[in-house]
Amino acid sequence: MSTEPEDLGGYRVLERHVPDASAANDSYVAWTAGIGGLAAVAFAVLLRLGAPLGLYGVMLALSCFLLALAVRRYFYDRFPEVVAAEPREVYQPPEATAATEPSLESPLPRRNFLTKVLVGGFGAFGASLLSLVPSLGPGVGNTLRQTPWDRGVRAVTGDGEPVRPDDVKIGSIASVWPEGSIGFERSAVVVIRLANPPEEPTNMAWVVDDTLVAYSKICTHAGCPVALYREQDESLFCPCHQSTFDVPHACQPTFGPAARALPQLPLGVDDDGFLVALGDFEELAGPSFG
Amino acid sequence: MTPLFSALLDALDQRMRLRAPTKKAGAKVFPSNWSFLLGEVSMISFMVLVATGIFLTLFYRPAVDPVTYAGADAFYNGVDLPAAFESVVRLSNDIPGGLLMRRVHRVASHLFIASIVLHMLRILLTGAFRKPREINYHIGIVLLTLALGEGFLGYSLPYDSLAGTGIRVMYSIILSIPFVGENVAFWVFGGEFPGEAIIPRFHALHVFVLPLLISALVAVHLFILVRQKHTQMPRPDIDGHKFVVGKPLWPGQAAESTSLVLWIGGLLAVSAAFIPWSDINLLGPYIPGEVGNNAQPDWFLFWTDGLLRAIPAFEFNILGTTINSLFVAGALVPGILFGALFAYPFIERKVYGLEGDWHVLTNPLEVPLRAGMVMGTFSFVLLASANATNDIISRMTGIPIETLVFLFRVTMVGLPPLLAWLAWRYASRRLASVGTTVASREDEAGSRFQYIGLGDRED
Repeated sequence: MSTEPEDLGGYRVLERHVPDASAANDSYVAWTAGIGGLAAVAFAVLLRLGAPLGLYGVMLALSCFLLALAVRRYFYDRFPEVVAAEPREVYQPPEATAATEPSLESPLPRRNFLTKVLVGGFGAFGASLLSLVPSLGPGVGNTLRQTPWDRGVRAVTGDGEPVRPDDVKIGSIASVWPEGSIGFERSAVVVIRLANPPEEPTNMAWVVDDTLVAYSKICTHAGCPVALYREQDESLFCPCHQSTFDVPHACQPTFGPAARALPQLPLGVDDDGFLVALGDFEELAGPSFG
Repeated sequence: MTPLFSALLDALDQRMRLRAPTKKAGAKVFPSNWSFLLGEVSMISFMVLVATGIFLTLFYRPAVDPVTYAGADAFYNGVDLPAAFESVVRLSNDIPGGLLMRRVHRVASHLFIASIVLHMLRILLTGAFRKPREINYHIGIVLLTLALGEGFLGYSLPYDSLAGTGIRVMYSIILSIPFVGENVAFWVFGGEFPGEAIIPRFHALHVFVLPLLISALVAVHLFILVRQKHTQMPRPDIDGHKFVVGKPLWPGQAAESTSLVLWIGGLLAVSAAFIPWSDINLLGPYIPGEVGNNAQPDWFLFWTDGLLRAIPAFEFNILGTTINSLFVAGALVPGILFGALFAYPFIERKVYGLEGDWHVLTNPLEVPLRAGMVMGTFSFVLLASANATNDIISRMTGIPIETLVFLFRVTMVGLPPLLAWLAWRYASRRLASVGTTVASREDEAGSRFQYIGLGDRED
């Protein structure tokens, strides 16, 4: 080890460990690099032969690890290990140089005005490009306040089958869509058969058979489907953020971050005995918006 | 230097006069401390992500129209799936090496974000953000934001049931922005959720726009790093304010970095061989109106999901717009957190009246405000992250979810300020016990040579 300071390409050497090359080191590098290369070949061959991922993945990893060992020893065996100090640049305030440089700017006063107009022109140019932004999507208009539910629209399952009131037994729920709009996310509805008639503030005119109610399935908090029904307390539960809705009491929120009740779907039965809507939701289905 | 390499360098030198700049670049000094490699780990992960991502994007179909899958996966054979999901199933099951590329891409994304967060934590704790490095610190925060965005977009693309639910929550958060939410949401999504535009747009953002921005900013980040030179830990033998001490790029740091690349490549490969990263068979395709249990985002967005679960329900109308808890939890609080990170270098400089340049790193306990800020912010983020798993904790322990959420609300409000105050007080007393205060200039501070309060200076 030599501690003589030595100027070498911009840095000063503080410490310098000269490695002692040895036959042992050479064979270490040869073995690790050699087997590492073989492992890489094994990876390629196993991959092409259709071997399982566990096998060729391990070969790839093995190759990386062995080559890492080889590179390290290869370098440390051949180059001195240097600890160097590089001087930091010191900040020079501009006053020191400003006086000697001639100014390139013309002193004419109208330059100020021209600069302002020029900057304004570029600003207007940049701002005008924002006119393209509204093209990115359709106008919102009233779309978020409406769903495809309407008077006489049948409630159908995900497979398109219409639903009779008797199909929904006590304690069970059915996910339904407006006929013709399956998968229109904000129109997802759960139909629930309660054990007893619901209570205030449920709109009783929208309840079928005294105990069959329909509510929007889209949580009023962040829009997750309120997919879990707890029969023991007749509540709907959102698996995303745990908002809980009291079904017999008009699906008012009882817990969690949802502030609004799930809107009740005006539910009725058509002449053929199938569940239909008596109209669209009267409240906003899904989360609120700014 | 091998003869071949020096002949090549000579040929290039004759044409571009490269010898002097190469020598200068090779002489750049890298302080050797393990924590200085965290940023390098994230850069290596990014290179792995680009390489594997190019492979993946050749197979991925950015569309949601139904396609019938026919292939080796018995579970999905003959099933109609969204085109995006189908292409991922096909890549995973019917393309040799496809699953390896997918898993490496996924696990590299975890490493990418984790190493960025740890790198930032190191920068914050040691004070590497101080003048003249504020700009690079800010670029780093933007890079973290972009990386989180890339992560979110990436786990959305397979269009599995969790991805669809995550996109829905993001859409709802955008909707909740006062005054402009619904318009911005329609601009981003090309209409109402789910729609047909969002997957092609997320794909374009994920494979083109954000990677390009990240690459450009990484280049600027590194340029500034080279221009300003590294910070370093205090050394008793040399004035860190005037010198940076470490291994020159060639050969010392080059050997270090090359083997780091290989170690990371090996770790990613071995984990991909055995761990089913992003196994979409467990999740199934996204179907509107359907969601399963365990609806968590990826770990790096746990804190936002935990905030969504924790902030109590409220909603009111004011000035013709709606403010609700979703906006506060999903946009306002994260905005404040990132704003605080952004502003912190200026706050510390102002509070302690710091002057001049700072190149030597400190123990965080040497600056009480910093100790308190990091403790408060990160304990809050960790608690919020833990709250994102409250449904799982509830199922495992039997504690009712209502009780758990109450406990989390109390601790999220109470514990971070308490911990911040304790850290601040401990650091202040520690400084007082060695009879010193926070120095206002580095060029005469003892911290250039030795952490304050850890024994005597070794001169």
